[in-house]
Order: sequence, then structure tokens, then C-alpha cells
Amino acid sequence: MDSAAAIAALRATLLQSGYVAERGLAVTMLMMESLGRPLLVEGDPGVGKTEIAKALARAKNTRLIRLQCYEGLDTYNALYEWNFQRQLLAIKRAEAVGPAATLPDDELFSEKYLLKRPLLEALTQAAPPVLLIDEIDRADAAFEAFLLELLSDYQLSIPELGTITATSIPFVVLTSNGTRDLSDALRRRCLYHFLDYPSFEKELAILRTRVPNIPARLAGQVVEFVQSLRRFDLKKKPGIAETLDWAASLLGLGLSALQDASAEQIADSLATLLKTREDCLAIDQPTIGRLMAAAG
Amino acid sequence: MNNTPDALFAKITGFVATMRENGFAVGITESEDALHVAERLGVLSHTALRDGWRGLLCARAEEWHRFDDLFDSYWRRPNRQKALETRTGGGSTVEHGGAQQSGGKAGPVLQHGPDAAGAAGDSTAKEGASAAKTLGTADFRTLTDPDQTRAIEAVIRHFARRLQRLKTRREHADKAGRRLDMRRTFRRAVGAGGATAQLHFRAPRRVRPRIILLLDVSRSMSLYSFFYLRVARALAAELTDIHVFLYHTHLTHVSDALADPDPWRAQERLAMLSAGWAGGTRIGECLAAFNRQFAARLVHARTAVIIASDGYDTGEPGVLGRELRALAGRARRILWINPLRAVPGYTPAARGMREALPHLDVFAPGHDLASLDAALTGLMAVL
Repeated sequence: MDSAAAIAALRATLLQSGYVAERGLAVTMLMMESLGRPLLVEGDPGVGKTEIAKALARAKNTRLIRLQCYEGLDTYNALYEWNFQRQLLAIKRAEAVGPAATLPDDELFSEKYLLKRPLLEALTQAAPPVLLIDEIDRADAAFEAFLLELLSDYQLSIPELGTITATSIPFVVLTSNGTRDLSDALRRRCLYHFLDYPSFEKELAILRTRVPNIPARLAGQVVEFVQSLRRFDLKKKPGIAETLDWAASLLGLGLSALQDASAEQIADSLATLLKTREDCLAIDQPTIGRLMAAAG
Repeated sequence: MNNTPDALFAKITGFVATMRENGFAVGITESEDALHVAERLGVLSHTALRDGWRGLLCARAEEWHRFDDLFDSYWRRPNRQKALETRTGGGSTVEHGGAQQSGGKAGPVLQHGPDAAGAAGDSTAKEGASAAKTLGTADFRTLTDPDQTRAIEAVIRHFARRLQRLKTRREHADKAGRRLDMRRTFRRAVGAGGATAQLHFRAPRRVRPRIILLLDVSRSMSLYSFFYLRVARALAAELTDIHVFLYHTHLTHVSDALADPDPWRAQERLAMLSAGWAGGTRIGECLAAFNRQFAARLVHARTAVIIASDGYDTGEPGVLGRELRALAGRARRILWINPLRAVPGYTPAARGMREALPHLDVFAPGHDLASLDAALTGLMAVL
């Protein structure tokens, strides 16, 4: 297929599955497939990093396997673990049947007794799944190094079973919030996409896709309001998730335009946008009035 | 790739090389993949190519934002040599600006800087110095006699022994471990006829953190810099994974010189290395230099960075805060030792100190051995 057509097709599919992707992101996703590299997505919280993986899974019509990283994540939670309890139970059962009964080792260390964790799960799928490694920056550097190894060979070894090679290469999406700087080696291995706060048009498109029953006027006002709110020096800038929440809460109040709401209703519903005490204090009544007037 | 004309091939690999020159972490694999991308997307559509290559060649947000300019200057101007010059010219203009500024400030006399906070802070500095002097025994200017050197060494040895080892992902057998080692337990049970006579445990392996020392040897710190250097020497003798830098208006890596077994020769080598000793301070720029040249290689998630400085920065405002934030993102912990902190009534009024404070894990006084010991103990508590 012609590349321009392929890009357009991918964007259309993503849009159908409820994700508004810029050209650049669509191109990068296309490259993910043809180069077989993982994709590293960085950006502020709430700009839709995790959503990329979900949309990709929906667009490719495949499974999404998610590994949420945290400090102290270990092999047993990321890769696999033997189900010791079941193994012991099987041994006891074999003993109870009597000395004539046998329990071959191969069976004891077979897949039946293997607890697959996300990484192993992703390697053993028939169709290539989307593997989302969320907030990789929260895991420690050693885990990152291990992941690098896994992502370059797509195989891992279990001493009792031998080496397991991926039956299909998963689409790997890594996200990072920047709580810790990632190693250069991992960065080099991945394709990179920096997800910024969306432009007015993009955010409007997202809002209309995700909240289809929103009146056009209210949608425009909500986006304009949030866009100008982001220009303030806030501790926690509202992301797209916050915009959607706010729009939903305004809809819940039965409004069709911001002007219909009382000052109280607006101030209360802002709890969906402003998430720290300092921010709530910084955006006072007059400021809200000014922002609303600007939003039209 | 075979159907890519040679000239185009050279031009594309040239582009990757240009990106490398500009500090992008790209290698031969990326050159190959850049060609794959070109093949897949077609070389005629420059918007698609730009998007495709951006994802491939960038590795961090800062590069992401610079990419478009570099792309344009390589592909869209007829004379790219000129574009390259303009870029590097642009870079050095900024540096020139800094240099001229420092030239204007002409060394140590003017290092207090024009800003009010710095000037006000400087009086604290003088007070700090004289207060330390009256303390007599606690002052380290007399720290040439072997007894006190031994005292430092004793404290450092004590610190090194207690230095908590950090958990890694790999495990090893450990009697005091908390995770049952089924494999070993079963294996040992074989000898007892299948009865598990004894349970075996595993625990994460631990390694010592890497330590990076950034010592301020500017004039305002001259009372203490020799003392800190002794501490650094003692640390380097006890620990293996330690890297020492001196800075004033620029940054010097002194680990090798410091490891010289002869103390006097070490001192001579240090003096030669750090021309400009006891001059002005540009902490922000020195940290920027550290971040640019050494941080990627030296600072990892098990690194503790110890900065010894009084926080009087004559560089541009904002640089120190920005660079320290970047460093804090890479390092595990940042400890700032400020000898003035011990002065009664001290508040971190100097601009540099105010900028730095939000990014520090430990902010401690370090004017004498006891307080230094306390600071290091504090660091161990948070490692």
C-alpha cells in the first residue's frame, strides 16, 4: 500500500476505536511494525499515553497485556512463577494413590503449573498482542536493563522448561512520566514519541469523539476554558482526562452552555480540573469569570 | 536499500551523522533503520519522513523539540555546511555571552554579583567564616596535622562500613532472607530422604551506591575546601565507586589526582588541574557541564550525589535550579552540604541556595567533622 494511504488508513482506524492520533504518531506506529522496535511515549500525566496502547490494541483487533511497573517489581510478578502450592498438592495426591502411581517430572514442571505473568504471557500469544509496559520509570534501573535484554531478543529462559522464544513479536508500548530518567540504552532501542498537551482542534476532536452527546457550543467552551487554564502556572495542569471529566460533569448538570451555569456550579465542578489546594486558591472567582468570558 | 540511489543513501546517512554530531544518541543501527523508514514511507513526502525519523532518532523530550530545526537546516537549505555553522555559531554565541559576562565581573572581587540577595548573603558568609574561627577547635584551617587527618579518616571509615547496600533485582541465598528458596529447600531435602529438615531462604543482593562528590572550591568556600578535599581523599581510599569533581567557574574531574598516594603530590596535581581555584563561582553552569559531559555515564539510579557549597552563585538565575532538577531525576539522592548552615540564624537567602532547595533530599551543615558525620548519617538514612 502507498505510505500516505497506509497512514490515513491507520488514523481512520484509530479514530474509529476512539483515539484521535496526529499524523506523526500514526507514522511512528506504522514504523513500529516495519522496524519491529518498541515505542517509548513520554509526556505529562493525563495526555493519553496509556490510551495509545489501548487504541492500538483495538485498531489491530488484538489483546492488550499490561504490565504496571512499580518500585520493587521483580521476576515473579513480571515474568513467571511456579505454582508451588499446586505442585505440592499434585505430589501429595500422587502419594495418596499409592506407591504404584507415578508423577513424571515433566508433568510437574509443565505449563500447567506455570503462572504466567504479563511479559511471558505476551511472548506466548498466537497473534501478536499489544504489550503495555506502563510507567517504566517507576521500576528500578536493574529491571530496565533486564527489559532491554528481553526486548532485543524476545526470548527468555526458564531453567526447568528451557528457553521460550516468542511465538509472535508483540507491539510493545512503554510509557514514562519522568519520575526518573531512563537509561540511554533503553531510549536508543525504542522509537520515541513525546506527547504534548493537545491543540485546540485536537482536544475538541477528542472531546467530541469520547463524549458524543455533548452540545457543540459547550464542547467549544469547555476546551477553550481548559486550554487557557493550562497557560496558568499550575502545580498540576489538567490533562485530557480532566477535560473529559469536566465535560461529563457539566453534562450531568444538564447544561448546554457555560453561561447557563451559576457561579457555584462552575466552582464546584472545577474539582474535576484543579487537583491541588494551591491551584484551587490560585484560580479564584474573578479569574474563573475572566476565563469564562474568554471562552465565549 | 539496494534500490536507493547512492547519492541519496549518502545524504541520509549524512543526516544521521549530523544528528549524532548534535548530541543525539544514534548509531549504525539507526542509520540502517532510517533507510528502512525512507524506503517504507517514500523519500518524496518530507512531512511523513520527518515524522518517521523523529520517532526513530529522538530519544528524549529535549531532542524531540530540537529535531524539527535540525531537520530543516539539513534538508531544506541549499548549503548545509552554512546551516551547521550557524547552529554551532548560535551555540557558541550563548557561551560567549557567559564568558563576556564573567570577563566583565573580572574574577573573585565581583563574584558576589549585582543581585541584592547575593550581596546580603555575602555578609552572612563573612559572619560564617569568623564564627567558625572563634570556635577554634572546630575550624579546619589547621587541619594539616596528622592527628586530625586521622580523625577524618576514622569518621569516613566508620561511614563506609555502615554505608547501606542497596537492593538489586538479583537474589542470593541468605539465611536472614524472607523469600523461601524452594529449589534449594527441595534439593537439600533429598539427603534427608525427602523430608524438609531445613528451610532455605533468599534475599535480594545488595550493592553499594555510587557516590559523586561535587566540591565548590571558590573563594567564598576557601576556608573549607581543603577540608572537603581531605574528606574526599579519605572517601576515595575507603570506597571504590566514587567520583570527585571540583568546580568554581568551571568543572574539573579530579578522581585520579586525588587517588595519588602521596598527599603533597596529590595537592600539587590538584592545584595544576584546577587553575582558577579560589575564584568566583558559577554553580549552575558547572552543574550544566556535569550534566552534559558526565551525568549520562556516571549517574545511575544507585548514585548519591554530594554537593559541598555555600550556594553563592554568580551565574545566570534559573540555571542552577533547572540543572539540579535534571540531576535529581537521574540520581537516587542529592545531599547538599553547606558550611554556613551551622551559623545561628542562617537562612538560605542566597539565590543559588533558594533555587536548589526544592530539589535536595538532604540539606545539612558540614562545617566540622561532627556535623559532617551527622550529614552522612542522614544521607544513609534516606538512601
